[in-house]
Amino acid sequence: MSRRDLTIAMVGAGGDGIVTMGDILSQAGARNGLNVIKTEAYGPQIRGGESSCVVRLSPSAIYEQGDAVDVLVVFSWADFGRFKGEVQPAPNAVVLFDEADPVARTREDLGIGADGHWLAVPFSKLAGDAGAKGSKNVVGLGVLTALFGLAEETIRRAVVKRFGRKKAAVGELALKAYEAGLVHGGTLPPMPERGLTFTPGPAKLLMSGNEASALGALHAGCRFFAGYPITPSTEILQFAEEWLPKMGGSVVQTEDELAAIGAVVGASFAGVKSMTATSGPGLSLMTEMLGLASMAEVPCVVVDVQRGGPSTGLPTKSEQSDLWQAVFAGHGDAPRVVIAASDVEDCFHTTVEAFNIAEEFQVPVIVLTDQSIGQRRETLDPTRLVHDVVDRAVPTAEELVEYKRYRDTPDGYSPMSVPGLKGGIYQTNGLEHDEFGRPASMAHVHETMNAKRYRKLKPIRDRYQRARRYGPAKADLGIVCWGSSKGAVKEAVLMAEERGEKVAAFIPQMIFPFPVKAFEEFRASVRQLLVIEISYAAQFYKYLRTFTTLPDNTIIFKRSGGKNLTISEVDDQIRRFFASGSQQKGAA
Amino acid sequence: MSAAPPALPVFVPGDYKTDLKPVWCPGCGDFGVLTALYRAMAELQLTPELTAVVSGIGCSSRLPGYVETYGFNTVHGRALPLATGVAVSRPDVKVIAVGGDGDGLAIGGNHFMHSARRNLDVTYILMDNEIYGLTKGQVAPTTPTGDKTKTTHYGNPEPAVDPCELAISFGATWVGRAFSGDLKGTVELIVKALRHRGFAFLNVMSPCVTWRGDDQFKSLKAKARPLPAGHDVTSRFEAFKFTRETDVLSTGVLYDVKSPSLNDRLDTIKVTARAGAPLVTVPEIVKTFLPSF
Repeated sequence: MSRRDLTIAMVGAGGDGIVTMGDILSQAGARNGLNVIKTEAYGPQIRGGESSCVVRLSPSAIYEQGDAVDVLVVFSWADFGRFKGEVQPAPNAVVLFDEADPVARTREDLGIGADGHWLAVPFSKLAGDAGAKGSKNVVGLGVLTALFGLAEETIRRAVVKRFGRKKAAVGELALKAYEAGLVHGGTLPPMPERGLTFTPGPAKLLMSGNEASALGALHAGCRFFAGYPITPSTEILQFAEEWLPKMGGSVVQTEDELAAIGAVVGASFAGVKSMTATSGPGLSLMTEMLGLASMAEVPCVVVDVQRGGPSTGLPTKSEQSDLWQAVFAGHGDAPRVVIAASDVEDCFHTTVEAFNIAEEFQVPVIVLTDQSIGQRRETLDPTRLVHDVVDRAVPTAEELVEYKRYRDTPDGYSPMSVPGLKGGIYQTNGLEHDEFGRPASMAHVHETMNAKRYRKLKPIRDRYQRARRYGPAKADLGIVCWGSSKGAVKEAVLMAEERGEKVAAFIPQMIFPFPVKAFEEFRASVRQLLVIEISYAAQFYKYLRTFTTLPDNTIIFKRSGGKNLTISEVDDQIRRFFASGSQQKGAA
Repeated sequence: MSAAPPALPVFVPGDYKTDLKPVWCPGCGDFGVLTALYRAMAELQLTPELTAVVSGIGCSSRLPGYVETYGFNTVHGRALPLATGVAVSRPDVKVIAVGGDGDGLAIGGNHFMHSARRNLDVTYILMDNEIYGLTKGQVAPTTPTGDKTKTTHYGNPEPAVDPCELAISFGATWVGRAFSGDLKGTVELIVKALRHRGFAFLNVMSPCVTWRGDDQFKSLKAKARPLPAGHDVTSRFEAFKFTRETDVLSTGVLYDVKSPSLNDRLDTIKVTARAGAPLVTVPEIVKTFLPSF
């Protein structure tokens, strides 16, 4: 039987070209129409330092980075040690390491069993002999190609493209290194059964979640972006800065996050679709302006690429611990909308949706993604990047007669004028105000206007009950999770299905207002619930309890971030549940 | 047959006035600034629907509510970030930011620095009364050392800043100082500030009769005098000579130089980025993510 997927990990020091190696592997995969997920991890150093890259390739759909890797290439054992617990070879993995490494490790150290392979390879020597001293990574590509029957010609073209882009001679040297790797690979024990069998298909896009978020914004019509660099969201700012001017738009890198969202609210007040992107600490600074946007009813979109917190926390690692901040942070009663993306493609769709909701209902919308999907690269089918776009309604001539910016309408949202519209002049503020926007601090005005602003959530809730549901219509175990946990959960659900276990999953895209009805239907369709999240404080579990009821026997699986949720973690929970016989105990 | 050209609208100062009654105390210097602003706008015939007045929080930040243009009284210290968004995204809109000394120099000080540095296309009028008025009389960054306020019972232990000195240092390309008790002079300076392309900063000494008493008004009136004729407005060094004054208050244009504004530079970037090509579309960007080899 041919393999369903192949996961290759590469670890080395800065300068070993780990990331380039992963890039070429994943680009070649994408070129041949394979499904690819690539993640990178670094040490805290600005330059140099250890780095690792994991590439998962599969002809069929994949939803998450593979857990234990099938193939591990180590250029430096010392650097490998810095990724303890993050890069884990399977017991039957093929481990390739540089024979010149002064640090020695044994297969027992890594738990490689008899069915695994432990192979010392002269990566450095082969690169040197080929006249391309720094090309261990390309030699590695050659060895991998030979061992696992990867697409030799595609990788060859990818190598030329990557190294020959500046100087043809550099490309030629890299090719020599590649050929040296191929030849050496031919001398190793052949293991074709471990390779992928596939028919090349049409090329796929290879994109990161952050790029997809930015692209979604441009697709939605965003023409003003203001931001302040913060890991792991900075690529969104960089992408906007590169492309918006070519689309006639503008970007300002502001002095801080307060100014970034301030400028976004200003531009949106001026009638231009606008966005900012940040991470947890930046969202904290933006909180005051979310209140203003809520009060003045100005559309705005904020993408929060979550990282480990609190405070500076784990800037380069993922966590799902900004949930409460996104939904609740702020002074006063300030309605907003929170949507969560669950994979790279979803980053595109949720951002467009965020603009659609923001523009139509004149509310701030926060899109929660996280480092794990924001910075990983994934293949996408180009035809899937379509999404309807909603534009802001312009007040009609009738509405401009004695124009009331904050007309108290049945749905709560009122016609919004923009500068340039002659009869639509109004003055607004962060103060409580009457229908004209004039400051008014009377209790009854405050009550009326709070009700008006909150009323907007109802049509949003009704129209955007977005949630994903996987698994059978009736199940013994119902997993509830959100955001990037989707990938591991979906794969674990599929694995359970193969075993004949009835497991379903519910993953809301719309976080606030929470799709209560859809959730309650799900709850009624399963015998027991399992809530899974990457938050020490179990923010999601407690959030669910705020807006709905959970049975007492609900199982919670939660932990701190720093390491992405793995398929095997979810699988363990499922197996444990069925092993305990809980599914026999009847409905909750 | 040629039709008669449509009559141009002629705005008088009163056209820029809303029905909202100012919350300011009787005798507040901000009335002078508001009146001067109406007159300056009329003099320049600013189109109301293509003008936006943005403010932060404070007594003076209530001003947008009183001007018949698009207006936004935002949150404390953030007038300039909001103004940035309007000015950059809508270069066709004339953007006026207004506020007080606490708003602009304390909580919003960082934005002041960077807006000036960027040469943002905004006219920023700071109404300086050397006190926090709306919160009823606390010390401000421009309160003179030794002054007693609600939060400096034993006298202000801190030195004050000179907003004009800061503006010049930060890179503002037009800096002026006015006294709101001098209506004519204030009108003239607002007109000049509004005509300037780029970041124009006008500090208007605007007395607070409630928290700094009649003395402040009297003292300012006694000290105010125009800058000497022949003052070289293109010299930072010359301009600095008229900052941190104690015995006099020199009013007029301290500094005025030409330099590309932020919007000028962003326009250049748009031209450079496109290199003569039509506007890029999203599908074209998507294609760049396809492996091409």
